Amino acid sequence: MSHTLHRRGTEENLQQDYVVFAMTAKGFNEVNSKHALKDFLRILAKYDNTVNLGDMKTGGQYLVSREQIIENVQDTSIVHAVFTDREQVKAALKELKEAELGVSVIVSGIVEHVQEACQGAGIDRHTVEYSVGIRGKLAKLPEDEILEITTMCGHGMVSQHLVRQMVLDVKRGRRSSKEAGELLATPCVCGVFNPRRAQALLDELVELWCFDEI
Amino acid sequence: MQIDAAKCVGCGQCRPFCTMGVIQYTRNLKGTKVHCYVAEDECVDCGICYRAKVCPTDALNQPIHGWPRSIRGTFSNPLAEHKETRVPGRGTEEMKTNDITARYKRGYAGMAAEMGRPGTGSRLRDAEKVFKALAKLGVEFETNNPLTGLLIDKQTGEMNPEVLNEKVLSAIIEMIVPLDQVISVLGTMEQVAQEIDTVFSIDLVARVDEDLSVPTAKIMAENNKWISMNGKTNLGLGRLQVKGAAAQ
Repeated sequence: MSHTLHRRGTEENLQQDYVVFAMTAKGFNEVNSKHALKDFLRILAKYDNTVNLGDMKTGGQYLVSREQIIENVQDTSIVHAVFTDREQVKAALKELKEAELGVSVIVSGIVEHVQEACQGAGIDRHTVEYSVGIRGKLAKLPEDEILEITTMCGHGMVSQHLVRQMVLDVKRGRRSSKEAGELLATPCVCGVFNPRRAQALLDELVELWCFDEI
Repeated sequence: MQIDAAKCVGCGQCRPFCTMGVIQYTRNLKGTKVHCYVAEDECVDCGICYRAKVCPTDALNQPIHGWPRSIRGTFSNPLAEHKETRVPGRGTEEMKTNDITARYKRGYAGMAAEMGRPGTGSRLRDAEKVFKALAKLGVEFETNNPLTGLLIDKQTGEMNPEVLNEKVLSAIIEMIVPLDQVISVLGTMEQVAQEIDTVFSIDLVARVDEDLSVPTAKIMAENNKWISMNGKTNLGLGRLQVKGAAAQ
């Protein structure tokens, strides 16, 4: 149902992780909507706090340039930008409201914080979706610390094994945690993965964890 | 996904990218050369090992599979389209365009079981177990969802038997229920969760009330049920007339 709903974490680290995205509805307002969707990305790309930007049709900014992503937007695109700062989210929402693009705008993040940002921007929220958690054979899941990273790609493209490899690579000095966070963003074709938050989480894991094997 | 044993040099660079962790090392029959192979029955054909472009010898190959194996890729690779059901993506637009479609009206909730999320994958026989349990409650499954398209009986939740052994990275059971049924549907999900060999993530959607409060949050709190602090908010900025669309 959602590629951004089930991001896991603490209040402290989730408050550095907001996905603002847009799309239009098939059979309602999709036709010729690509121009407004491009404008949406152009507006958000101006904010220096956006750490990822993407469209599943083209990829995220760690695969292709922002210019290519915007140029290739189609009527059926879902376009995303990832923020790490609430104040910038609030400012962006205000600007989006004033732009009157007419596309559906959705924000993933701590629901109360998003509501505060909406109020600050003069927006009445319309619909809210909550994650109610995970059920079933929970023993099949990796550790919570790994899930905090992998669930930033809701399509499940970021493997737990790649996260473990990155922890090991950083420990061994083969790459920096910044480089590791950005590499983890590459499998996520929608561009909703937050490499900055991944970097911070990796820094914690590198201090705390060791591996006998991956 | 397959790996050409003759080309593979066994460097293992593709292994950590595998979402299912099913790329393993082996040796050729003579025991003279190490190479990687994919445990194909456990592979969900997500294609990420191939798209990672880390293979130095171009040994990875994604075969074009026929029915029913073909559905692995369409449910697991976000770049693939659903040819069988002609519905793109794993789910629907759901609440993302609710400000335009009014899919979820006041008095109702959207609920979903995202089979195989996060990251475990799911055989569709487990999806059928959840479908059947929910069907007994008389819920209406979302027609436009590609997984619903694999049901042969929406009243019983029975799926096409040809697909039951197929494994996908994730697939979503979507439904709309009256608000007063949210807790009973959740209870059924929790009960059937004990019978499956995978996990699922649960979604709960509602149109906000006139005072901007979220009715499902109240229901969950009143029943001492946990919801994440994290969620998704549709801002209600969508309009039938999109800026610049008419001028084209």
